[in-house]
Amino acid sequence: MYATYVIWTRHMRKFVQQTEELVGLALQSVLWVVLFGVGMRGMISDVGGSDYMSFILPGIIALSALGGAVGGGMVLLDERLRGIVKEYLAAPIPRLSILLGSAASTATKALFQATLMLIVGLLMGARLAINPVGWLGALVLLAIFAIGFSGLALGVAAISRSIAGYHGMIFLFNLPLLFASNALYPLSVLPGWMQAIVLINPATYLIDAVRALAFGVEATLPLWASGLVLAVFAAASMAFALSLFQRSLRA
Amino acid sequence: MNEQAVETQALVKRYGTVTALDHVNLQAPAGRIYALLGPNGAGKTTLLSILTTLIPPTSGSARILGYDVVRDAAEVRRRIGVTFQEMVLDPLLTGRETLDFHGRLYRLPAAVRRQRIAELVELVQLTDAIDRPVKSYSGGMKRRLELARGLMTDPQVLVLDEPTQGLDPQNRVNIWSYVRDLNRRRGMSILLTTHAMDEAEALADLVGIIDHGRLIVEGKPGDLIASLGSDVIRVRGNGDFQHLVTVAAAIDGVSRVETDPADGLALIYTDNGSRRLPAVLNAISNNGFAVEDVTLARPSLGDVFLHYTGTALRD
Repeated sequence: MYATYVIWTRHMRKFVQQTEELVGLALQSVLWVVLFGVGMRGMISDVGGSDYMSFILPGIIALSALGGAVGGGMVLLDERLRGIVKEYLAAPIPRLSILLGSAASTATKALFQATLMLIVGLLMGARLAINPVGWLGALVLLAIFAIGFSGLALGVAAISRSIAGYHGMIFLFNLPLLFASNALYPLSVLPGWMQAIVLINPATYLIDAVRALAFGVEATLPLWASGLVLAVFAAASMAFALSLFQRSLRA
Repeated sequence: MNEQAVETQALVKRYGTVTALDHVNLQAPAGRIYALLGPNGAGKTTLLSILTTLIPPTSGSARILGYDVVRDAAEVRRRIGVTFQEMVLDPLLTGRETLDFHGRLYRLPAAVRRQRIAELVELVQLTDAIDRPVKSYSGGMKRRLELARGLMTDPQVLVLDEPTQGLDPQNRVNIWSYVRDLNRRRGMSILLTTHAMDEAEALADLVGIIDHGRLIVEGKPGDLIASLGSDVIRVRGNGDFQHLVTVAAAIDGVSRVETDPADGLALIYTDNGSRRLPAVLNAISNNGFAVEDVTLARPSLGDVFLHYTGTALRD
């Protein structure tokens, strides 16, 4: 869809121009890895044979993509509240392309952040598998994951009446996503009931797949299943966003 | 080409129990400037939102150049240019980026976009500022940029929602002259809303008066005004308005008396204002009515508004 591409370039144009956002995202990535990684490494030397830095890096990357999705939703909310979205609505473009444009720019920012985090992580002693195809696969899955969470954030942004309301709703699913996942601890150490919850969380599948693809850790979940779960998640959440967006327009 | 640029039939929009538009039948012929005149909250923006396909009507239908705004929304969107009541500009983009982005949304080729931007920047006199970020623009410059954006796609119908709201007199007059030019030189059909009588008088070939969601009357401003009579004596003051009506209507040569007591205003229509003025003043001021101010004039669109709605047009 051409309009998606046009809206993506507009967001990218603003992203590159706004040095604060650019530098902010870059510093955030570095701080996450350095502070969190170093702190935790003092306590835990290795998890299931791989060093903790390598173990935790995919989790941090996934979670920063979540942060990016929240920011992407904010962009839509801001454009909605300020009326800028009317320019899109009166143009001969599909409603979905407006949402996809936002999701695509979120995914791009997530990839940018992930690349930075990987570099910092490597400097901090994480050991990447020598597997360029795997790296590429990991980035593709990350992009799909970022689109998925953009969908949820955009859906909430489509119906929120204020910025405070949006953040309140977003917070509800942000925290469980961090702790109810395999980001900080391996799936195998969790009790059965918690494993069940963690397996509902799409972040779990991304993190497991990235560990396997980019860091050479043995996957605990089949790769194809992780890919499938992420793809279904992205499609479902964009459908969710579109239905809420359209509902907000009918009012 | 279709004769009507804009046409609505029994158009209704309800929000819960609130009726924003109540069976509106509007007809704006192609090639003309049509002004929807009404106070804030009359339903003007709701009507434009339906016509520009932003929201669907509750019932009834609306067509732009013969295309239904619901069924043929894509066709409608391709043919209209819009400026909204609030400024909807991205402060981070430059003027040129704003226009270029808009052209790309409509899939205009790069060469066409370059050429249109060059023409429009000239038209709205933004040559010096076009490469600066929009956040550095004044209100008048932003409005002109929005007008240029609405024109990027060379629309057949231009829809302007309160195009001069919040602008100083000089910028208002500038916008008026652009709008008139577009209509005269390119034959563009223009539908605009306004709550300012002078704007409707300055621009419109046709006026539709809208109040409380109902389109009360539409016609040529001159015809609407002429239908009221030749002269009007406008009296401001306070006292017994009902009595004033009885007394004034009995005077020879007075054809009609209209009042808006809440606004302290009475309009006395006569065949010859200057001749009837002494008799009118004599009659009303002797009867417990304190006159503060009297003006004698030809009727205006504001008087038309009062005539049809029963209240004076306020902001």
